[in-house]
Amino acid sequence: MPIHEKSLIRPENLKTHDELILDGVDVSGHWSTFIETRVVSDYNEAIEEEIAALPGGENIHRCWQCGSCTNSCTVNAINPEFNPRYWIYLIRMGMESELLRDKDIIWQCVSCNKCTYACPRDVFPEGVMKATSHWLERKGHTPKSPSMHFDEVFTEQILKTGKIEESRTIRRFFKRTSQGLMQPWMIEMVKRLLKNLPVGMLTRMGIATFVAPRTSNWSGASSAIQEYIDEQHQKQEELLNLSELIDIAQKDAAA
Amino acid sequence: MSKPILIVGGGPAGLAAAHSLGSIGRSSILVEKEGELGGAPILSGYAKLVPTGEWAKDAIGGMVKRVVDDSSVRVQTGATVTSFDGEPGNFKVELSNGDKHEVEAAILCSGFTHFDSVNKPEWGFGTFPDVVTTTQVEQMISSGGGVRCPSDKRKPKRVAILLCVGSRDRQIGREWCSKICCTVSSNIAMEIREELPDCHVYIYYMDIRTFGLYETKYYWRSQEEFKVKYIKARIAEVTSDGDKLIVKGEDTLVKRPITIPFDMVVHAVGMDPNVDNPDIAATFGIDLEEHGYVGVANRYGAMGATSRPGVYVAGSATGPETIDDSIAQGHATAMAVLTDLKQPVGETA
Repeated sequence: MPIHEKSLIRPENLKTHDELILDGVDVSGHWSTFIETRVVSDYNEAIEEEIAALPGGENIHRCWQCGSCTNSCTVNAINPEFNPRYWIYLIRMGMESELLRDKDIIWQCVSCNKCTYACPRDVFPEGVMKATSHWLERKGHTPKSPSMHFDEVFTEQILKTGKIEESRTIRRFFKRTSQGLMQPWMIEMVKRLLKNLPVGMLTRMGIATFVAPRTSNWSGASSAIQEYIDEQHQKQEELLNLSELIDIAQKDAAA
Repeated sequence: MSKPILIVGGGPAGLAAAHSLGSIGRSSILVEKEGELGGAPILSGYAKLVPTGEWAKDAIGGMVKRVVDDSSVRVQTGATVTSFDGEPGNFKVELSNGDKHEVEAAILCSGFTHFDSVNKPEWGFGTFPDVVTTTQVEQMISSGGGVRCPSDKRKPKRVAILLCVGSRDRQIGREWCSKICCTVSSNIAMEIREELPDCHVYIYYMDIRTFGLYETKYYWRSQEEFKVKYIKARIAEVTSDGDKLIVKGEDTLVKRPITIPFDMVVHAVGMDPNVDNPDIAATFGIDLEEHGYVGVANRYGAMGATSRPGVYVAGSATGPETIDDSIAQGHATAMAVLTDLKQPVGETA
């Protein structure tokens, strides 16, 4: 049967062949569209516990699928595909292949936390979204998201100096995410700032560019924080069964 | 001296009726076709009952003992009623063992028959040894042997429970909900998880009807405390790849076809009308309702009335029923019989 209702089938499942001969019969052209198999073939029973092991995901088991999170969601109002309730269902049932179909939009949560207040079960859906996008990154399903890069730049700076210097943070963030510094909104912001001749601020910024501000006697606190972070990462690697993935990555890097 | 009351069937309803009559000194004849009293909970080897969690052999066994010890109840096991004639207050009864009795009234507590899963061949029962019924799992638990795959006695790692096998299925003429299978399945799922913590249990449902107060204790508790997973799906067939059972169907929430491997598949079998109901109806001269259960003639005025005065019905003979409600109906119908005998319908008003 030629497929007429192509609109009903997800584009990635449609396979078209301009020239195809099967058992000596030419089935090119009108007949050449096939649907890829689209069967859920198993459950990944570990996935709920893995996401529960990441910060924010701890309470996912409490969900009773009322849909308050999706109803209250800021992003869902713009993109109906963004459906926290549905993802929580998929995670809890272990439907990994279905979850991975949405891997490129899960990170788009804007952390408005409306769901956090709407949730009658304290599932903390915002935290679950964060944990899920981290899970996707740690498992290698998605590259690091811009927000993850920002978190890292922020954390690194705190660890090093104990202070946040905004212009440094933004410069590093842009560099890490391969964005140019001279963005239209940035130029406009600087122009308007300069109208007021903020002499004191410009002086402080100028100095901070060359000498990073520091908290005094920071090294002790810094190493304590670093130790805690390392400990948590180690624990997560075990809980997420990442050792195998790390081995593969190291072998790839060596080769 | 008044004549006894005939009770047909020694399950929960019949035992309750006999006890009620005995407790006020009325004699009864309890006729049971099997060799043992107790009905389905005892004869089919149920494990822990809903909702008390008591073992069937203790709970129903206690009811059996109470009746057996009651001198006003004459128990006739291994017998059926072959003829029944007369008027209310004066019926003549013949049993298959040749005994003849005179009774004032009869209460049919003839129960139900478990749905036979071979009538749903696409779901693999009778084809694959590891496809079993809820009754068989009850027996695995009550026998103390534990839940094991029948093919090689291994502990299953993944179990699927299919709901509505022989219920709510117009294709095979079962246009009724058997009421208790959702709750029983949740109960069994928790028992499996308790015995085998590494075994994942999935329940495939079209709707979950853990009615009344069972919602908390079974539906939610099984999910929250025992991590039982409920998948809304329509199951098309159960096959095998030679190693595992393969459940095929459609996940109707995700709207995706599914093909999932399992070690064991459990059919949550429904309650059919007792297979003997046509014979019972002919012998007692009563009407069956459209599905084949014993028809109830008066819902609001009298308990357990059938289409024939003097013949009453209680328990799952009237349709899918819980053990608790069957017992309550047994007691209440005994009361209704006594009331009618004291004041026959013709003499009131």
